[in-house]
Amino acid sequence: MGRIFFGDPARRFAWVSLLLMLSLTVAPTKDFFRQWRHYQRQYSKFIQGRPNAAALRGRMVGGIHQIWLPHLGVVDRCTTCHLGIAEPTLAGAAVPEPFRAHPAIPHDAEAWGCVVCHRGQGSATEVAEAHQTTAAWEQPILRGRFIQASCGTCHRDDLPQAPRLDQGRQLLARLDCAGCHKIPGIDRPAMLGPDLTDIGTKVSRAWLYKWLKEPRTITDANGNLTVDGVDVGEPQMPTFRLADPELRDLSAYLSTRRAHPIQPYHFDPRVVAALSKRTDVADQGEARFRQMFCSTCHSLAVTRAGETALIGGDIGPELTKIGSKVNPEWLVAWLRDPQQYLPHSQMPRYEWSDSDLYEVTRYMETKLNDPQLLADVPPLASPTNTEIAAGRRLFVDKGCASCHVIEGLAPQKDFGPDLSTIGARNISELDFGRAKIPRTLIAYLQAKVSNPLSVNPDGRMPQYHLDKASLDAVTTALLSLTGPPATLGMEKLVVARPQPEFHTAGEFGKLYERYKCYACHKFNGFGGALAPDLSYEGSRATREWLIQFMENPQTLRPTLIFRMPQFNMPAREAGVIADYLKMAMQSPDVDASVNRKEFTPAMAAAGKQLYEKKYQCQACHTIGSTGGYVGPSLSFAGNWLTPGWVQAWLRNPQALVPGTIEPRQAFTADEIQDLTAYLLTLRQSGSTGSAAGTPSAQGTR
Amino acid sequence: MRARALLFSAALGFVMLAGCARKSAPVKSDPLQNAYGSEADWNDPQRIIPLNYEQVQGKQLFYQQCVWCHADQSPAGPSNRSNVTPTPPLWNDGATLNSLSDAFLEKFIAQGGSAMGKSAMMPPYGHTLTPAEIQALVAYARAIAVPPYGAASRPGHK
Repeated sequence: MGRIFFGDPARRFAWVSLLLMLSLTVAPTKDFFRQWRHYQRQYSKFIQGRPNAAALRGRMVGGIHQIWLPHLGVVDRCTTCHLGIAEPTLAGAAVPEPFRAHPAIPHDAEAWGCVVCHRGQGSATEVAEAHQTTAAWEQPILRGRFIQASCGTCHRDDLPQAPRLDQGRQLLARLDCAGCHKIPGIDRPAMLGPDLTDIGTKVSRAWLYKWLKEPRTITDANGNLTVDGVDVGEPQMPTFRLADPELRDLSAYLSTRRAHPIQPYHFDPRVVAALSKRTDVADQGEARFRQMFCSTCHSLAVTRAGETALIGGDIGPELTKIGSKVNPEWLVAWLRDPQQYLPHSQMPRYEWSDSDLYEVTRYMETKLNDPQLLADVPPLASPTNTEIAAGRRLFVDKGCASCHVIEGLAPQKDFGPDLSTIGARNISELDFGRAKIPRTLIAYLQAKVSNPLSVNPDGRMPQYHLDKASLDAVTTALLSLTGPPATLGMEKLVVARPQPEFHTAGEFGKLYERYKCYACHKFNGFGGALAPDLSYEGSRATREWLIQFMENPQTLRPTLIFRMPQFNMPAREAGVIADYLKMAMQSPDVDASVNRKEFTPAMAAAGKQLYEKKYQCQACHTIGSTGGYVGPSLSFAGNWLTPGWVQAWLRNPQALVPGTIEPRQAFTADEIQDLTAYLLTLRQSGSTGSAAGTPSAQGTR
Repeated sequence: MRARALLFSAALGFVMLAGCARKSAPVKSDPLQNAYGSEADWNDPQRIIPLNYEQVQGKQLFYQQCVWCHADQSPAGPSNRSNVTPTPPLWNDGATLNSLSDAFLEKFIAQGGSAMGKSAMMPPYGHTLTPAEIQALVAYARAIAVPPYGAASRPGHK
């Protein structure tokens, strides 16, 4: 046998040569069977059957494709197999992957490649290496569900095109994640949770025990908290999984925090004598509570047909059971001057009459309460020194001090891990514990956020209760945190987040801080989004109307649930604010010199025709009692708006209020004059817009 | 010794060839995994419709601009639909919108009702929205249409 192969040197040489030749064919054969060649052959076959086969064949380039973005440090060979990525005729689910065209996005997929957004391993030419997460490849591929994270790595500002990312970033801010974690792009606000220096003057130890155990007092049958039928998910305070001894110690410590005793307010005895006899004092208080529009910032739980929903705003805390929570003396002192107790509070300082204050506090104490609220709290004796000392330690150890300030107590530094680069973390750096989840970054983040104990049973992170959509949004926002730009080129791509501030000195500045105008309104890009932007209010409204509105805010938009609260503002203060707005908050696009006398009755009559017939503005605007309510009521537009504003608005609404929903129309110059003339005739009869009028008689409801 | 050398080279060749035969598992495609965003069916909130980037942009614009008159509920509460005559179609009303071409709907949104011989209560959006934004609105309507929109089955589609 052996002789046939190795009988003489010639045979030996022949066989070795054959073996050598065979081994030399291995490399070309292997190359022939490479996955990308397989897909390129399949693509050639696939495009034969397309109607535009010739054009597709003409554009097809064989071999390995490579997109190189040196400034981003990206090498991308994905288009080697994804051959139809930029072929519009290969769009739609009917085209099999990997040949389908990319759906339309603002970035050119052929120029940017895939891994800039989808991550994965761009230089790979094998399916598994490119797409799947392994211990070696740092970045898992991102599919559509979390793709908006990649938008956020460069676009650090608000990005309406990426709603899931925006929602996630808002949740990270609203849930005060920045209390314990370092999160770039989310500023630590001046006050995360309330300052607890004097919490002992506000609430009882029993209430503290209850709250620390489960910081949700309003839930429906399923334990969900819903607002206007929409689940808002989670209250700001998370659940800390505290045991009974810990609850006792913490409540003992907190209930003894009373550095600054409250100064009880003494009502005018005549007011108390007159009101305490009346049986409807709480009802009066409720009416006043509604009239003042406390509900714009505070919500109350309403149960209808077994569904509990919170009705009202979420700027301030929910007040359904406030009467069972706070000390009545504290409540009166708080309502009179919130900043005395909490310097950073956003609550405006209202102007109160003794009777209003008495009625509203009686309403909150007697009607907004729940006698059963503290029923399941075990009996608590007065706090002992041991309990207080233990509670003080717990306050720091559990991380309470990271969000809540207590005078004389320093929080632990860097309590939670830095999340600046969490979205780029290699899985070898993550501790999965014994969790039975896929070993991927996404699975880790979702497990950690939804149940921190599942990956780390000894973790300090409290429990949040997020629904699936919120969890995906938070995961998206966390995945977007890939750290500072790695290269100079990338640094140039980053769109920074603008951080405007608007504060001003003088008398207006004081009133601006007192009434917290910026909690709801925007001023030159700074402030809340609940109410209209006031950056150009001086150009829009007449001084008389501004004063009248601040003294008695009437609604311009009848369908709104949230309305301007009634501050009982003195006329002098309203005048100061109106003067400032007229002086400083002006738009360069509005001609302030337009005179009302320019507009004749004939023009107004023509304008009425345009309003009612040609453009049918009544589809969205109400005059009197007819019309739609998409836009504001124009019943008293003549009192309210300046002629220059109306003209500029009709020319181009978006130039004055970016993003306003009134569409820009192509009015002629004459039509603008006529419509302006008509709107200026719409005035409140018998009033020239003076500050006259009794607020209580007109009501706001 | 020789036999072992032979065996070794044969094994080496086999291993090299085997490397070529490896087939990868096909990448599974779940429409919601791959979707840029989603929207619940207006008539059946349990059914989640996957949306691509363009449709999500259309959804954003719809809830800003159009929801007031083309849906039964608006973010501010009640709908303005009842104040508009004739009653405008719901944006998911496939029975009405499916038979209209993309080009017609885009023109209608851009030029408004009166230019198209319909109610002037539908204002023109051509000066406010870009053509791409109007296309996105139509793409969103197609995505949420009930009955579903099937562009390919209709004659004269874009």
